[in-house]
Amino acid sequence: MGRFVVRRLLHAIPVLLATTFLIYALVFVLPGDPIQGLAGDRPVPPSVLAELHRRYHLDDPLVVQYAKYLGGLFTGDFGTTFRGQPVGDVIAQRWQVTVRLGLTAWFFEVVLGIALGVWAGLRKGRWADHLILGATTVVIAVPVYIVGYLAQLVLGVRLGWFPVSGGEAGWPAAYVLPGLVLASFGLAYVARLTRASLVENLRADYVRTADAKGLSRLRVVIGHTLRNSLIPVVTFLGVELGSLMAGAIVTEYIFNLPGIGQQVFQSIQLREGPTVVGITTALVLVFVLANLAVDLLYGLLDPRIRHD
Amino acid sequence: MTSPHPPGPTGDLLLPAADTDAPPQAPPASLSRDAWQQLRARPVVWACLAVIALIGLTAAAPGLFTALFTDDDGRCELARSKLGPTTGHPFGYDLQGCDYLAQVVRGSRPSLLAGVAVTAGALLVSVVLGLLAGFYGGWVDSLLSRATEVAFGLPFVLGATVILVAFPRHGLGAMTLVLVALGWSTMTRVMRSQVIAVKDADYVRAARMTGARPSRLMLRHVLPNAVTPVVVVAMLNVGNVISGEATLDFLGVGLQYPAVSWGLQLNTAQSYFLDHPHLLAFPALFLSATVLSFILLGDAVRDAYDPKLR
Amino acid sequence: MHTPRHRPSPARPWSAPAVATALVLALSACGGTADGGGNSADQGPGTPGGTYTVALTEPNHLTPGQTTDSYAIQVIEGLFDTPVTLDPKDGHVLPLAAVSVESTDQRVWTVKLRPDGVFHNGEKVTAQSFADAWNAAAYGPNGWESNYYFAQIQGYADLNPGKDQQPKADKLSGLEVVDDTTLKVTLSSPFSQFPMMLAFTAFAPLPRAAFTDPKAFDAHPIGNGPFQMDGDWAHDQQIALKKAPSYAGSRKPMADGVTFKIFTSKDTAFTELQAGNVDVMTTVPAARAPEAKRSFGDRYSVRPSGTMDYLGLPLWDPRFKDPDLRRALSMAIDRPGVTRAIYNGVFQPADSIVAPMIPGHRDGACGEACTYDPAKAKALFDKAGGFSGPLELYFSNSDPTYEQWMTAVANQLKQNLGIQDVTFKKMASADLGPILNKRQGTGPYRQNWVIDYPSMQNYLDGLYNPDNRMGWSAPQFDALVARGNAAKDAADGLAAYQQAEDLALREMPLIPLWNWQDQSAWSDKVGHVLIDPYVTGLHLDQVTVRH
Repeated sequence: MGRFVVRRLLHAIPVLLATTFLIYALVFVLPGDPIQGLAGDRPVPPSVLAELHRRYHLDDPLVVQYAKYLGGLFTGDFGTTFRGQPVGDVIAQRWQVTVRLGLTAWFFEVVLGIALGVWAGLRKGRWADHLILGATTVVIAVPVYIVGYLAQLVLGVRLGWFPVSGGEAGWPAAYVLPGLVLASFGLAYVARLTRASLVENLRADYVRTADAKGLSRLRVVIGHTLRNSLIPVVTFLGVELGSLMAGAIVTEYIFNLPGIGQQVFQSIQLREGPTVVGITTALVLVFVLANLAVDLLYGLLDPRIRHD
Repeated sequence: MTSPHPPGPTGDLLLPAADTDAPPQAPPASLSRDAWQQLRARPVVWACLAVIALIGLTAAAPGLFTALFTDDDGRCELARSKLGPTTGHPFGYDLQGCDYLAQVVRGSRPSLLAGVAVTAGALLVSVVLGLLAGFYGGWVDSLLSRATEVAFGLPFVLGATVILVAFPRHGLGAMTLVLVALGWSTMTRVMRSQVIAVKDADYVRAARMTGARPSRLMLRHVLPNAVTPVVVVAMLNVGNVISGEATLDFLGVGLQYPAVSWGLQLNTAQSYFLDHPHLLAFPALFLSATVLSFILLGDAVRDAYDPKLR
Repeated sequence: MHTPRHRPSPARPWSAPAVATALVLALSACGGTADGGGNSADQGPGTPGGTYTVALTEPNHLTPGQTTDSYAIQVIEGLFDTPVTLDPKDGHVLPLAAVSVESTDQRVWTVKLRPDGVFHNGEKVTAQSFADAWNAAAYGPNGWESNYYFAQIQGYADLNPGKDQQPKADKLSGLEVVDDTTLKVTLSSPFSQFPMMLAFTAFAPLPRAAFTDPKAFDAHPIGNGPFQMDGDWAHDQQIALKKAPSYAGSRKPMADGVTFKIFTSKDTAFTELQAGNVDVMTTVPAARAPEAKRSFGDRYSVRPSGTMDYLGLPLWDPRFKDPDLRRALSMAIDRPGVTRAIYNGVFQPADSIVAPMIPGHRDGACGEACTYDPAKAKALFDKAGGFSGPLELYFSNSDPTYEQWMTAVANQLKQNLGIQDVTFKKMASADLGPILNKRQGTGPYRQNWVIDYPSMQNYLDGLYNPDNRMGWSAPQFDALVARGNAAKDAADGLAAYQQAEDLALREMPLIPLWNWQDQSAWSDKVGHVLIDPYVTGLHLDQVTVRH
């Protein structure tokens, strides 16, 4: 087990390096001048431009810039935004919003997704099953921003149940609607996954045996089937936790939540290299760790799988 | 597509296999006829095909629909900006005062082109890379696996935005390349594991023992028997690609004027849809119906080819 | 939980002015001109005391010389007294930290200071405090954002050498501290508008503490103004100010304190204003106009701003050589149509290079050339020989409305002139700026101008100077501006500037499009909300609080 973890972590290093370098190159190497960009239509005197280029290492060759950046990273320095704020601070602050949003969405996926899936699985072939299957298909197909706008229109504006956008109302009020929208895709997926897995397991011999013994259907499901059925669901939910954190750009965009996704989108447009690379590094790291956690959990849940 | 889910081929969008790590079973040769028999019997397949055919027709001949359903004169007048549906203009007008039906109809072409081109491109890349990685193993496999992880670990919207903002002069062609670059990883994994499974099959061993060259082994024996699952996965993926392309347009980093697309229309609609809901409704309807049709169709194909889940 | 019924703020918080106006100087806000210099005189004398809140976007710095960001300026206006300020009614110069600013030749200026100025930490404000601040801003290697404001002072070049060269000096030779209350400023050439520039926050004095620990100072600036910091700047959250007991100047505050609440999105801020969680907002987005009118009634105001949008033309491209073609492009654009459809009728079609609030502005200065007339436009276009090849339109991705109005312009050029191949070059401002500055663009581009000070000269020099982005050169124009700069008498100066404007409009290297308007709204908790379009923005000292 220990060796497995170490091997996986070692594998993650080249992936992290390659990803950050790729992003770094794309943000930095192309023509254009972020300092002049910040100034917009204002003149920037050459002397000031030269100084700011020096300060943000913009004149160094790409590889040197990247090396300096990596050096800083090892000492915990994520670089500085062009407004002079440490990128680490920006990430720390924005992260709170994204984590809240991600966990809220994840909660919906776990609770609603599994509940709907179990319900549909137990009612296989009846109207509830058809309804859930149909609804989840539609949710999977409709782009998230359309789901988001419909939710804003109906639940936010017409019914007035939730703030339409912005994070000022705090958790949970401001996060329920975006959380649901962010969760919609995964929720539908979890429901279908749970249903499919449950239906398959209910056909297994041990269930028939339990049935034959006269155990109630519910006890059969809870006592025997659910644990086995949930293995693929847990796998998905684990990866999903990473994905949800990994920048809910679109959801934060339409709901105006000041999270990581919003920040990174803004920074890309501003060509603010250090921020983009800092956030991307953090996101990829989260993603890699989530995948690792899933693999480990998978081994615990399913005794047939052993990591050596 | 939700942002954290790359519209890369997830392969098992609607009815996922229980264990994604296990190599899919090689389908028997008679399966495709079998599958077609099964597909033909399902009404949903015909409904999806009808929707796709209709959208395809709008993409091929938008003028036909404009002439049939509107009094559009092709001019955009700001005085008519955002007006709702009226007789002669069933979809109303857009922000620029252009006939909205004409605009929405014209919006189908980039979506379909991207869907088909990206899927074909990603399929090609993943078949080649998956074949190489699976067949040769060793350092080729390690290298390609790391590359797959890089592409897989990069969130889709983030990666695409960085690339597209860096190269502002992009058209549909460049968008296709970006979507392929971000969408090949999962399909490559499917292909690779399939190749590994097939490589050790008896008939391949037999061929190897008769002294067949590696290239012949790969192309004549392994490829035909390993390619079906990845093609099925690719079909499932068309809807995702269309959705992903529209997302980038929606965020303002994708196609731009004079291109017309549903994503661009939704981008404009976002500021006005409360007071002018028709701006949101029509492109949303067309986009959703198209994506839904492709996903349901892909799902049906998958069901037909994967007897395990039947 | 409050449940505001409002437009779900689809505009991207970051996209809009936060980016576009990153280095904007004059804070938006109200026009003294249109509705009589503020809209508060109606409430009688308020009672002193109480505190209020103002919605703000995170500024970049709070050290005056380090920033030209409109949000920073709004805060600095409360913390510092600049040498002069501008009358909210008509923009003319009023003394503030100075008693007088005078010159006999428009080149050597004598600034006499109030003797009782004092910083919040007790340090006396002297001529040296000003000289130190200006030298620091003018010194290139400091990289301060307001650097270019000091370019007219003698010795500037020595502090700002070319790339990879060492500066010859770190102090402007044109600054001479005569005594504690007298500063003599020598410019490199006559410049009649100089006193107006002194209203800009970069000309505020700095105490010694600003140089001992600049980082700490930026988080907790010590000024000479009516308010002082109440705790450090809490990044992305708030900046709290309280009444400064040491202040002896002319802007004695009514309220005990003001807190700037920082929002990432203007839409969110507007929602909070509607919910009563913020008292004043001076940057209500144009898209929210109908709603703001409905919710705030007479606590809502639209006031002209000095900001203008133009379409710049690349004159080095021979296709744009003929002034008739340039006029044809201008006359093919339906300005009122765009401002109505895309800016909710808030922005106003432009008929001059300068905004209506600027002294010297003449209604209809541009005349027929800025009036929508498709038939005449087409005739002129044909007369000029038409246009060949693709027409590429350049603009930045900072705000979604840029793309929307560019689309309208593209449609009109297609429909009215028959230019078929129109494409967009939409890019990050980081890419667009250098392309335009190096004259590498191949088509018309969005040009925006935000005033530094309310003078015609600011537009004429800023947009049409010899290094202009259009590649337009007209010695006669340069001579007219120089004549205005050297004029002793204000009226003579204006006449020269107006002649220069006429020349530029005849030649039309830059097509005026529309004049921005700023929307403000405030809660019923506050009164005497005076917002001016010049540098001060919201007059923090005058706001009264109902309590």
